[in-house]
Amino acid sequence: MPYMISMRGVDKFYAGEKPALVDVNVEIEQGEFVFLVGHSGSGKSTFIKLLLREILPTRGTIVVAGQDLMRLKSWKVPYLRRNIGCVFQDFKLLPNKTSYENVAFALEVIGRSRHVIRTQVPEVLRLVGLEDKMDSYPDELSGGEQQRVSIARAFVNRPPLLLADEPTGNLDPQTSLGIMSLLSRINKTGTTVLVATHDREMVDSMRRRVIALENGKVIRDQDRGVYGYDD
Amino acid sequence: MTISLGYFLRESAINFRRNWVMTLGAVITIFLSLLLVGVSVATGYVVTEIVKDVERKVEVQIFLKDGFAEEDMIELQQFLSSDPLVASVDYTSKEEALAKFKEQMKESPEIIEQMEGNPLPASLDVKLVDARQVEVVVAKIKSNPTFPRVADKPDNPEESLKYAKQIVNRLFALTRVVRIVEIVFIAMLAIVSLIFINNTIRLAIYARRKEIGIMRLVGASNWFIRTPFLLEGVFQALIGATLAILTIVGLERAIMPKLREVLSFLDLSLGGTVMVQISLILIGSGILIGLMGSGFALRRYLKV
Ligand SMILES: Nc1ncnc2c1ncn2[C@@H]1O[C@H](COP(=O)(O)OP(=O)(O)OP(=O)(O)O)[C@@H](O)[C@H]1O
Ligand SMILES: [Mg+2]
Repeated sequence: MPYMISMRGVDKFYAGEKPALVDVNVEIEQGEFVFLVGHSGSGKSTFIKLLLREILPTRGTIVVAGQDLMRLKSWKVPYLRRNIGCVFQDFKLLPNKTSYENVAFALEVIGRSRHVIRTQVPEVLRLVGLEDKMDSYPDELSGGEQQRVSIARAFVNRPPLLLADEPTGNLDPQTSLGIMSLLSRINKTGTTVLVATHDREMVDSMRRRVIALENGKVIRDQDRGVYGYDD
Repeated sequence: MTISLGYFLRESAINFRRNWVMTLGAVITIFLSLLLVGVSVATGYVVTEIVKDVERKVEVQIFLKDGFAEEDMIELQQFLSSDPLVASVDYTSKEEALAKFKEQMKESPEIIEQMEGNPLPASLDVKLVDARQVEVVVAKIKSNPTFPRVADKPDNPEESLKYAKQIVNRLFALTRVVRIVEIVFIAMLAIVSLIFINNTIRLAIYARRKEIGIMRLVGASNWFIRTPFLLEGVFQALIGATLAILTIVGLERAIMPKLREVLSFLDLSLGGTVMVQISLILIGSGILIGLMGSGFALRRYLKV
C-alpha cells in the first residue's frame, strides 16, 4: 500500500521559544482512519497545517498524496489542496450563502462546470443527511448541521485525503457521535481520514489508530488505540 | 471558462458598490492624471508643429555693402552652399530688397515717401537644414575670410548678420520647462491614484477575507483568487481613461478652432489620427496604472 502521508524527521520551530514539533516520523496508508490526540499546545494543529502546506517544516521531509511538500512549487499548492478535504472546529461557512451555495462555492472556485456542480452538490448534501436543508443559511442551522455542511464541502470534490482539526470541538456528545460516524462512512468510501481531537470518549469508543503527541513529540502510535492521557 | 468570466465580473461589481467612496477617489485621480497626459500629448503635438514651422522660416541674412565685389559674394555663396547644414543660399539685390520692403510697407506710404534713394543693402539669405544649428552656421560665416570684405559694416561685420536665434532657443527652452512641469504633475497624480487604487483593493480584500481563506483551503488557483481584484483596478482605470478621452475631445472641439484663428499663419490641425493615438495612449496608461495599483495591493495584502 502506498502511503497517503509520510513524515520523516520533521521538526517545526516557530519564532524562538520551544519547538511545536520534534522529530516526527509518521506514515499513514491510503484508506486509514487515524486520530491525532494530545493536550492543548501539543502540536496537533501544526501537524495539520504542515500537511496542507500552510507552513513549511524547519527540518525533515513530508510527502502528501505523492507530492514532496518541500519541493512543491508554491503555485502548485492549490492543486495539492484539491486532493485534501478540510474540516475545522469553526466550520468556516460563508454566512450569506445557503448550504447548497457554500458547497457549490468550493467547486466553482476550482473551475468545475455548472453541470458537475448541479449533480455533485445535491448528492453530497444527501450523503451528509442535509437534503432538506439545502436552501438554509448557516444561522438557520444547528452546530452539528453546520459541521455537516462543512464536511460536505470538504468531500464534494471526492478528495483522497480528509483532514479534520477538532471537528467536534464545539458540539455536544450526541452530535459529535453523529459527525464521527459520518467521517467513518466517508472513510469507508476509501478516503484517508485524519482527525485531530481531544475528545476522549470519542477516541475510546471508536478504537481506531491513535497517534499521541506531547510537547511536539509522538509519544505513542497504536492501532485500535485509546485516548490514554489521564488529565 | 464562461462561468469564471461571469464570476469575475460579478465579484468586481460587488466590490465596486461596497467601496464606492474609495472607488470614486481612484476614478477621479486617474481621470485627472490621464487628462493631463492627454493635454500634454496634444499640446506637445501642437508645439512641435509650431516649432517645425518656425524652423522652416528661420534664416540667416548676410547684408552686403554697396559696391561689393561680385566674385567675393559668389565665393561666399558657394562656401555656404557646400555646407551640409545649409539648405539654400539666395541672393537678394538692392532693388529686390527695396521692392520687397515697399510691398511690406504699402499700408504706410508716408514711410516710403520719406526714403531717399535706396538705403537697403543687398543680402545673401541662408536657409538652414536644422534651425538649432543656427549658431554654428553663424560662426562659420564669421570665420570666413571673405565675409568682412563684403559685409555691409566692415568695421563691425557681426552687425551685418541678422538671424532669429532668440525665437527658436526660447521656444525650445519654454517647451522643455512646460514638459518638466507636466511630468511632475502627472507623476504626482499617478502616485495619488495608485494610493487610491491600493486602498480600494485593500478594503475589497479585507471585506472578502473569509471567502479568500476558503478559496485557498479548497484549492482555488492563485490567479483565480487575484483576478477579480486586478480587474477591479483595471475597471476603475478604464472609467477614468474614458472620462479623460471624452474631456479631451470636448476641449479639442472648443479650443482648436480659436487657436487656428489666432495662429492662422501656421498650418495647425489635430487630425483624427492624433486623437486616436491620444486615446490609445490614455487607455494603455490607464490599464497600466490599474494593474500596478491592484498589483501592489495584492502583493501587500493578499498572501497566496
Ligand atoms: N503561528 C504561531 N507562531 C508561534 N507559535 C505558534 C504558532 N502556532 C502555534 N504555535 C505554538 O506551537 C505550539 C503548538 O501549537 P498547536 O496549535 O499546534 O497546538 P494544538 O495541539 O493544536 O493545540 P489546541 O489543542 O489548543 O488546538 C504551541 O505552543 C503554540 O503556542
Ligand atoms: Mg489546534
